[in-house]
Amino acid sequence: MAKRTTATKSELGRQSEPALLILTSLASGEKHGYALAKDVEAFSGVTLGPGTLYGAISRLEERGLIAPVPSDDRRQPYKITSSGRTALASAVRDMRALADEGAARLRLRVLALRLQSRHLVTGLTR
Amino acid sequence: MSASNHFERILRWYPPNWRAHYGPGLVALLEDTYGENPVPLRIRASLARAGTVERAREVGVLGETTSSNDRLRVGSQLVLCGWSLFVIAGAIFAKFTEHWNVATPAAHRTLASIGDSAVQWAGVVSAITVLVAALFVFPVVVRLVRAQGWTSIRRPVLRNALAVGSVAAFIAGLTLWAHRMSFHQRNGGTIGYTIGFLVTGVVALVAIATATSTAVTVTRELDFSRRMLRLLSSLALGLTVLMGVIVAGVALWWASEAIYAPHFLANNIGNGFISTSNTLPPALVVAGALMLLGLSSAFAGSLRVLGGLKKT
Repeated sequence: MAKRTTATKSELGRQSEPALLILTSLASGEKHGYALAKDVEAFSGVTLGPGTLYGAISRLEERGLIAPVPSDDRRQPYKITSSGRTALASAVRDMRALADEGAARLRLRVLALRLQSRHLVTGLTR
Repeated sequence: MSASNHFERILRWYPPNWRAHYGPGLVALLEDTYGENPVPLRIRASLARAGTVERAREVGVLGETTSSNDRLRVGSQLVLCGWSLFVIAGAIFAKFTEHWNVATPAAHRTLASIGDSAVQWAGVVSAITVLVAALFVFPVVVRLVRAQGWTSIRRPVLRNALAVGSVAAFIAGLTLWAHRMSFHQRNGGTIGYTIGFLVTGVVALVAIATATSTAVTVTRELDFSRRMLRLLSSLALGLTVLMGVIVAGVALWWASEAIYAPHFLANNIGNGFISTSNTLPPALVVAGALMLLGLSSAFAGSLRVLGGLKKT
């Protein structure tokens, strides 16, 4: 688990959080800088400043995880590459494993199951 | 000035290559976000920081994708830049501490003497280390000139020759002038000589900066073997240790004098021209700040070198 997380982090670079947000946004289709910033803000609540956003974009492009899409517009759109999809999938698996582990240790799943069964029982008795 | 030009000006912190590739996209983002409104100061500061980071990445000071050889090269260059700050700081310290032992009671000279000796010895050994590195580099420079001519390094080398020639002329003139003066005239008695001394100091400062910049520019053009890079970066690591010894020596001397001979620290500034506290004379504060800055640069360079030595 630790090894896999480290591998994903090194693949995405030290600034892995903006990189992950950008990859997640591009997974649903190509976008230019402004659209990317707005989409990231909408689904995560994180506001990426222009310097941070373009720093992460240049790093991701350097690693071949995203690529510029030819465009006549002054706005430069980017798309996720197949390596980018693989890196994002790997990061998502790591995060899910971590989330499951955290939930199990906090007994969140048990609580959720109890709540579900209580609703079920209530439903059956009505 | 059009809005687009205004946004492009904000991106001047970024290196030209980066601007050529990402500049239009980033300008479009700024236009879309701020339109005709001024860009907030916080965003400008963030862009300045990000631009500086990109510049540092471009020369190899930062970044994980830099090759191990470039890490060794850039790390060693950072150490050299740190050392050049030590040359300036060392000159200030040497001038300030002249005749300190006369002003310090004999019973309380031991610690200050250890500190002063450490500074002197480490200073001499560090200068020898830099000279040895220069001797190793020289044949590689000759090889480059034979293969490609002077074109790629002519401008920085000529600039350096001019700076060194100027400082030599100033020092020679000042020395000849000083020989015709009394002790009192040399030490603040003649305003013309004092101005000449300060101007020589500034010219020397420019010459040191030019020499360092030339060394960095020229070594960037050279094709070093892995073995040579390892050798040079080992010397750079040694130089960093010596700089640490110098800082420790200065701290020991300073602390000892502050306790046992505070009057020496208080009375030594421009013949009383600048009033000062006993323990924090401006000249020593400037020297100390330069040393800490130089040590930080050398430390960052050493970390880069160690990263390059580990990475094969």
